[in-house]
Amino acid sequence: MRHEKNIAESRATRGSTADTVASMSILQVRNLKVSYAASGPQILKGIDFAVDGEDFCAVIGPSGAGKSTLIRCINRLVEPTEGDIVLFGQSVRPLRGSELRHLRRRIGMIFQEFNLVNRMSVMDNVLSGRLGYTGAFRSFFKAFPREDIDRALHLLERVGLQDHVDKRADALSGGQRQRVGIARALMQKPEILLLDEPTSALDPKISRDVMRLIRELATEFKVPVLCNIHDVQLALESCNRIIGMQDGYKKFDGPSKGMRKQDLDEIYAMEVL
Amino acid sequence: MSLAATSVSEHGFDAWLAHKRSRRIKNWLIVAAGAAVLAWCVRDTILFDTDWARMGGALGIGGTLERFFWVDWSLAPKLLVPALETLMMATLGTILGCILSLPVAWFGAANVTPSRFILYPLGRFLMVLSRSIHEIIWALLFVGAVGLGALPGILAVAMRSIGFISKITAEAIENIDPKPVEAIRAVGGNQFQVMYYGIGPQILPVIIGTIIFEWDINIRRSAIMGLVGAGGLGLVFFRQMAMFNYGGVTLVVLAVLALIALGEVVSHFARKAVI
Repeated sequence: MRHEKNIAESRATRGSTADTVASMSILQVRNLKVSYAASGPQILKGIDFAVDGEDFCAVIGPSGAGKSTLIRCINRLVEPTEGDIVLFGQSVRPLRGSELRHLRRRIGMIFQEFNLVNRMSVMDNVLSGRLGYTGAFRSFFKAFPREDIDRALHLLERVGLQDHVDKRADALSGGQRQRVGIARALMQKPEILLLDEPTSALDPKISRDVMRLIRELATEFKVPVLCNIHDVQLALESCNRIIGMQDGYKKFDGPSKGMRKQDLDEIYAMEVL
Repeated sequence: MSLAATSVSEHGFDAWLAHKRSRRIKNWLIVAAGAAVLAWCVRDTILFDTDWARMGGALGIGGTLERFFWVDWSLAPKLLVPALETLMMATLGTILGCILSLPVAWFGAANVTPSRFILYPLGRFLMVLSRSIHEIIWALLFVGAVGLGALPGILAVAMRSIGFISKITAEAIENIDPKPVEAIRAVGGNQFQVMYYGIGPQILPVIIGTIIFEWDINIRRSAIMGLVGAGGLGLVFFRQMAMFNYGGVTLVVLAVLALIALGEVVSHFARKAVI
């Protein structure tokens, strides 16, 4: 544990994108195109990018740019129509059935509206992050292995919810619910985290707290993050790389430090119709 | 301009009056047609179809009804076992109905059905089939299939319960919040886990409420199952009727009433406890 933390700290102090210590891309997206209906409009019109091991990468852009669709393509909650997604060296698009489930359990996802099961306890919600690894019998009786329960309790403490373990999820405030969502995603021991507007249902102060927490935990567990977010200020503060999208195209890709006002203007040019 | 407006409004008034008159005539025609159909029904079913000679005047009717009035209390101890049997039939029938409803609701809920073109219509068809056949008909079928006793009653009650429970359940499934389902899919959950964790908790209160309600109804249904030989209080009713022991018939009816009242009370508190 302590060892892990030391590594995390040294990583954080080194400045993240400057040195790319022979890190190969965890996620590669090539010429990704999506349209929901065969004859419908194209939502993504050919997106290319790669995410590396230490990226905390924000996807920004106006509403309707395709940010959510892009994130959901990666764990195939949305089916891509063209192009290629390679995750952990494995092509995502041909996967079926249990292969797809095995891929999904390596991907943690945090949602805009938390997507908790409201009538279930906080603990059960967090434990449900392990379902991909849990057999039918155990999941029927909610009899998770000891180590999962230990990990869930540890994570709940880590996100500051140790006093709410047995409460029902709908008894919590928005910020607390998102912390449950974070703990659930981390239960998976994810190798990449997908964040779909994790803060837009929260007020500005809580948003910052939640982003800070995610950033901290991502560094601690050494998980790369792909985060779709529309609060530009928050994106620049908490992420080290920005992908700007507009109307299904990638308009910008670079470190958040190098981003200039005119880059932002270009991304958001379409917003005033 | 004011002249034109006046003439238009006068013309409008005439047209409106004519319209109203024709509407009134139409309404009267509809009422008259309805009355004619009603008169035809009364004539054919009541006037021609009743054996007036056998009824024997007001005294005769009163005399027959009076025989029901003298309740045969001596029968009371013999009703305990059939009453219990009726309750058990209702309970077991409801439980079996619930189990059978699970796949039907799964097939018949548009958002989770395993196949839209085969199993979805099948699920919907089973829902309609279960409800469109009366419980007595179901009981007759099962008495024929498995013989006399409580078992055909249980099966009949179960079959009759499927329609309502599975329809309400399927509708609850169709109305769930899809977001938790998405989350369970995203962690790599399989179809069973998605339903058990993502859908189950959301529909549970509706289902339990429905089951309690259905149990309440099933007590009524079980009470008459005996009429076709499927056990319970209905069988005693049938025997008393066959022996022309009208007082005994009344006591059975009172027992049924008590049982239903009991079910009503229990289900009221059970539902309160759940919701």
